[in-house]
Amino acid sequence: MKMFFATDIHGSEICWKKFLNAAAFYKADLVVLGGDVTGKVMVPIVAHHGYWEVTVRGERLRLDSREELLKVEQQLRDRGSYPAIVTSEELDQLSTQDAIDQRFNDEMTHSLDRWLDMADGKLRGGAIPCILNGGNDDIFEIDPILESAPSVTFAEGKVIDLAGSGFTMISMGYTNPTPWDTHREAPEEELAARIDAVAARVPDMNRTVFNFHAPPYGTGLDEAPELDASMRPTHGGAVMKPVGSTAVREAILKYQPPLSVHGHIHESRGVAKLGRTRTVNPGSSYGDGVLQAALIDINPKNGKVKYVLVNG
Amino acid sequence: MATDALGEERPTLFLRKATGLVRGWSVRDSMIYACLSTNVITLGLVEFAYQDAFPAGQLLTAVLVSGVWVSFLVLAYSGLVVTIPRAGGDYVWQSRILGSGLGFVMAATGWWFILWLWAPIYGSVLSEEFFQPLWVAFNDPSGAAWFATHTGTFVVTLITIAVAGLLVSLGMSGYARVQKWCFYGGLLGFAIIVILLLAFSRNDFISAFNNETAKLFGMKNGYAGTIADAGSKSIGYTPAPFGVAGTFSQSMLLVPMLMFYLLWPNWGTTLYGEIRGASDFKRVFSGMFFGLWTTVALSVVLLLLFAKTFGFNFYQDANALWIDNAYSLPSAHALPIFPYPVLLASWLVNNQVFQVILLLLMSLWFFAWVGTLFLSSTRVIFAAAFDRILPDGAAQVSEKRRVPVWSLVLMLLPAIGLAALYSYNSTFHTYTLDATLVIAVTYLFSAIAVVILPWRKPDLWAASPASRLKLLGVPVVPAAGVVTIGLIGYCLYEWLSNNAYGVNNNDSLIYMGAMYVLALVIYLAARVIRSRQGIDLSLINKEIPVE
Repeated sequence: MKMFFATDIHGSEICWKKFLNAAAFYKADLVVLGGDVTGKVMVPIVAHHGYWEVTVRGERLRLDSREELLKVEQQLRDRGSYPAIVTSEELDQLSTQDAIDQRFNDEMTHSLDRWLDMADGKLRGGAIPCILNGGNDDIFEIDPILESAPSVTFAEGKVIDLAGSGFTMISMGYTNPTPWDTHREAPEEELAARIDAVAARVPDMNRTVFNFHAPPYGTGLDEAPELDASMRPTHGGAVMKPVGSTAVREAILKYQPPLSVHGHIHESRGVAKLGRTRTVNPGSSYGDGVLQAALIDINPKNGKVKYVLVNG
Repeated sequence: MATDALGEERPTLFLRKATGLVRGWSVRDSMIYACLSTNVITLGLVEFAYQDAFPAGQLLTAVLVSGVWVSFLVLAYSGLVVTIPRAGGDYVWQSRILGSGLGFVMAATGWWFILWLWAPIYGSVLSEEFFQPLWVAFNDPSGAAWFATHTGTFVVTLITIAVAGLLVSLGMSGYARVQKWCFYGGLLGFAIIVILLLAFSRNDFISAFNNETAKLFGMKNGYAGTIADAGSKSIGYTPAPFGVAGTFSQSMLLVPMLMFYLLWPNWGTTLYGEIRGASDFKRVFSGMFFGLWTTVALSVVLLLLFAKTFGFNFYQDANALWIDNAYSLPSAHALPIFPYPVLLASWLVNNQVFQVILLLLMSLWFFAWVGTLFLSSTRVIFAAAFDRILPDGAAQVSEKRRVPVWSLVLMLLPAIGLAALYSYNSTFHTYTLDATLVIAVTYLFSAIAVVILPWRKPDLWAASPASRLKLLGVPVVPAAGVVTIGLIGYCLYEWLSNNAYGVNNNDSLIYMGAMYVLALVIYLAARVIRSRQGIDLSLINKEIPVE
């Protein structure tokens, strides 16, 4: 069984399109997106009479035609930003936290709807299995949208059969607490309880894949730049420290599945062994429009795992 | 959530709360890193000592020309950092823009294999700038001279390798804190030297030098004797008078030599992570640029003060005699140890405690720098293992202590072998500039990558803050790449055609060539072996179609 695993595309439309094409490109049996699907940035495009104004990478642009507008919108989407077309009055109204939150949520959910429409075509209406999960940066409003999409399977807390291979996957998008106080964070004890609850329903742990957004602590898959109190990397970014989950680490050591896939820490692309388990974090480079991923081949007979990390 | 008005009243973007939204690097931190990488005390002072290869050249002119030229390299690398801001530096950029095979060969040779040779160079510096002068300050000249012997150099190199390996094992966290304080301590030492060289006259120095060399080495009239010996028939060295005049073409020949210490302001680019936004180009560039120019400024200050207080002719004559002595051309006034300017300056104060304190303070320039010796090698080995070019074990980290055991073995064992060659084989010792050349070749391909980036990856380039920088309509970053290619091309031409650099001989070329062959063999073998295992390495950097 050949699985394509990517994660943390953070709203990058170019990465989403690549993800949808990955099964055909790599001849994979199924594709999995490990969380943090939605973007972090919304860029207002102010509509005036006959033209639009937007600031992109610090440069103020005047767009005089719809073609120019569409081009800039696509550039923003490709890099993970949400273009929000607003009037001057609407922009003025985005002055309260609630108003900004609401507009952000609207843009995220609309964008996800569009993405799922694309998926219907590319994945041949579900003929190519596609598993999606939320990550700590994803709002909860996306869960029902993913749940109701015909061509993808929303993975959180479920035991999912992997393309009739005899393998199953269990998933958790929650992470241990971060300095940013994001949406799906929980204390380590709660993470352990969540994992135990879903692991109890697994028929055969030797034929199970863990898909946990948080990487296991202290494996090298969880090294992030150390930050000071003002959220600035210390020592020019030279000092990295492990920020993964101890609950995920303990669960892997306790259950020892053949494979455990992770994301969350973009700069910690790598592979590590934890006991008998092969743990993988393909990292993320969504801002460059590169879809970092792991192409993983699991032998259904003996459970042996082969992998290659790709920059698609 | 946050908003960013970019200097306007109305917001131009909104950020929601999400992981990884951090403030940019501290320019000061990256400046310190760049300044320590282009280390004027450890590498610069050693390289200044070899000026006698081009006696009509002017160090001052060469330092300034090098500073300007290397600034273009800083521009080119800043463009790469903000366009593909991934930790991994040259390996990632070249793999993505030029292809996996070339990326691996250049990264393996420039950031891994050649670091084996840097280990004994670091060891030599520790011997010449720490053990030798310290033993002299303790009035033990024979002990000091032992550190200059083959065995002394080898032992100190082993110590250096052990320290650098230990720092990789323990992680950078504690070291980075120490490193910053070492830098400030080193600057304090530097300030003391500036004050000494300003406050004392040439006559004071002549008197101090004559006294100390008589007491320590039994020399008579050491200052005048040094100048006389250097100008003698057997040595025949007459340095050009100090200044910016002189033979410009000879000064230009010093530029490839000075790359030994000035080519590294971008050493920290392997460490940069997720950076975006127009202002980040300025931040990345500023850190490296001001680090480089701090080094250039410190170099100029030192050279001016050496000329004032030591006398420039004397300074270069002492260096020339020391080098000739090391290569079996002895003279009565050759110092048996490296004529370390810090030691010479410390003699201006006839107080042993002061001398020891000053030497220890200046040794902080070494200890702030040594930790980076194997850091980049570890990253390249890990990246190559994750790309399945090296066996998985190469990236394995012990579960309990989190020590990268095999990558340490791959770095330390060959380094120890080369340390023995470097210490005991004086011919091999002359290949020192190979260590610069091989990394320069890696830089050359990154410079080529930045020049062709707008054509190879137009979307990536269009989205990069670097693409907005234009001068008279010409994109600045690719243009800086062209100038960088010019710099490295010029240096390569001189290194490979001019015998004075010690690079252009059969053994040296075979040594360097063997490294490229080794890297290529590893890559091709990996392709074959992985293919048999059902893993297609050609997939690693193949781009998935978007539509």
